[in-house]
Amino acid sequence: MADVTLKAAAEPAVTKGALSRFGAWLSQERVFRWIPFVLVEGTFILVIIIPFLLTIYISFLRWRANRPFEQAQLSGFRNYEQVLTDAGFWASLGRTFYFAGTAVIFELVIGFFLAMLVHRVVRGRRIYITLFLIPMMVVPVVAGYNFSMIYLDSGPLNQLLSPFTNMLGINPRIRWLSDPTAAQLAIIIADIWQWTSLTFLIFLSGFSSLPPQLINAARVLGANKRQIFFWIELPLLKPAIVIAVVIRSMEALKLFDPVVLLTFGGPGTSTQTIAYYLWEQVWQFNKYSFGAAASILLLILFSVLIFVGIWLLIRQRNQFEQQQETAT
Amino acid sequence: MSNAHSKTQAATPAGQKDRRRDHMPLVRHAILIGWALIIMFPIFWMLQTSFKDSGEWVTWPPNWLPQDPTLKNYQQIFTFDVSGSGVAREATDQPFSIWGSLRDSLIICTLSSLIALFMGTFLAYSISRFNVGGKKFRHMVLLVRMIPPIVIAIPLLMYYAVLIPFATEAVFGARISLFDTRIGMSILYLTVTLPFVIWMMLSFVDEVPYTLEHAARIMGAGRMYTLRKVVLPLVASGMVVTFLFVFILNWAEFLLALTLTHPDVSTLPVLLNKFQSASEGRLYGPQAAIGTVITIPVVILGIAIQKHLVKGFSFGMLRR
Repeated sequence: MADVTLKAAAEPAVTKGALSRFGAWLSQERVFRWIPFVLVEGTFILVIIIPFLLTIYISFLRWRANRPFEQAQLSGFRNYEQVLTDAGFWASLGRTFYFAGTAVIFELVIGFFLAMLVHRVVRGRRIYITLFLIPMMVVPVVAGYNFSMIYLDSGPLNQLLSPFTNMLGINPRIRWLSDPTAAQLAIIIADIWQWTSLTFLIFLSGFSSLPPQLINAARVLGANKRQIFFWIELPLLKPAIVIAVVIRSMEALKLFDPVVLLTFGGPGTSTQTIAYYLWEQVWQFNKYSFGAAASILLLILFSVLIFVGIWLLIRQRNQFEQQQETAT
Repeated sequence: MSNAHSKTQAATPAGQKDRRRDHMPLVRHAILIGWALIIMFPIFWMLQTSFKDSGEWVTWPPNWLPQDPTLKNYQQIFTFDVSGSGVAREATDQPFSIWGSLRDSLIICTLSSLIALFMGTFLAYSISRFNVGGKKFRHMVLLVRMIPPIVIAIPLLMYYAVLIPFATEAVFGARISLFDTRIGMSILYLTVTLPFVIWMMLSFVDEVPYTLEHAARIMGAGRMYTLRKVVLPLVASGMVVTFLFVFILNWAEFLLALTLTHPDVSTLPVLLNKFQSASEGRLYGPQAAIGTVITIPVVILGIAIQKHLVKGFSFGMLRR
């Protein structure tokens, strides 16, 4: 439909001059259509695809930073073998999923609960929304720094806990970040602090697009609050929930900033996420070809997750749009 | 309980209902205020640390407000003179001044966000109107965003530090490296934020009715003219929102900046991290001051585009 009208109006270049000729050339249907596409695709190919092809090549080399690249020799699948048999790689991968899973569950539950409460609040609604969205805008590095201050052995957390610790006769200056379990929790809590605002935002948007007629109708027909929530609101909120889960999970698996700021992966390796682990291998130990093989393997692993994620997003998006159409 | 609201008793005794209405909002507000306090606490702690002098940074018990408020920390990061008096300044190898990083951050973020905005807007327009790239293309774009940055960082390190110098030497006879340059970082940020721009702008462009353009075209306006005079004014506010959103993302980015710049270029998050490993132990005060300086502008920008944040983070899938 759009094609026909636009093709019919292919105008001739009337004015002279290089600029107008350029304008006329630009206004041609096919040129106009494809320039942005070619530009963006070109960028993706240049900045993402070619580096990955290079990385595939490097992953078959035997290369560390102490030798020039040109002298590196092919070594077959040796790097892949090393990565796959590396205990640190698997441990940090598992830890990443553990951190992401725990954090995302808490974020979803708290975010949902807060959105539900704020949705029902009449007075001061805007203030709550503004306040609750602030953590999301704080630079993650700064958030990590803030939490490192709170967990200090002479920080406010220990001060708040000191009545209890005194009662139990423990030294109140607990070094939270020196204990593996506490350090892991610290990172999860920092993540929850920062990203609950995103799930809150998504759920709030879901709540505010609920059709009021439907809920009123149910109420008139005699449904109680619980029935309305479980049988009407929750099913209608499903798209928002799926979108929140997918987006947050994909982001949580990238966890890196708070680890660097809070614990440097320690104590031991107890807070190394996969991003931190690879960063250390490549940038601290200069194991380039090892890192290359690992990032190719990770890409393969993650692309499976990403495809599932995108597929879920598309499905929910279509549903959500239908819902909004019926709501309006 | 479930009978209380049945059809016949739709009008429950007024007194009972009122009593329930009375305390529910209170509980609600109490919970919400509690969460607000939890949220604001780390930020409050940073703010008050930034006004503390070095002796007060780590004391037991900690002071909740600076006993002797001082602007020393801000002075320290904003003064141009690196060799002046200060806390163990000569013992560390990193210059304290924030200006270099501030300049780098501003240049990189502005440049990359602007270029991404223009490329993304035009692509969004041609996807929306001509369905360029097919139906699946807009979803494939998301792929770029969802790949973990560490997976991109390693290839890019090799690319910027090895392949490009190698290739430019072969072609132009001079080694040009994008590693540790502002241009290199801008290109990278531009690429990783393009998916956001495309999706946000798609949701704005899709809202512009096609009939408007059609009318302009029938009246003899050229394609560029229609775009400039009809479409762009209508999506201008959307472009501003998208620009700010992408700017905030780039401003906060840490991993790629940490891995692909080392001595020369450093963005603000990287600068904050450098204070961590200073040989004199951590410098809590200046760190807090830098944190405050980095955070305040983006929080203000974020509040300004608050209504559209959900659109940005959900790739335009949620609208309100």
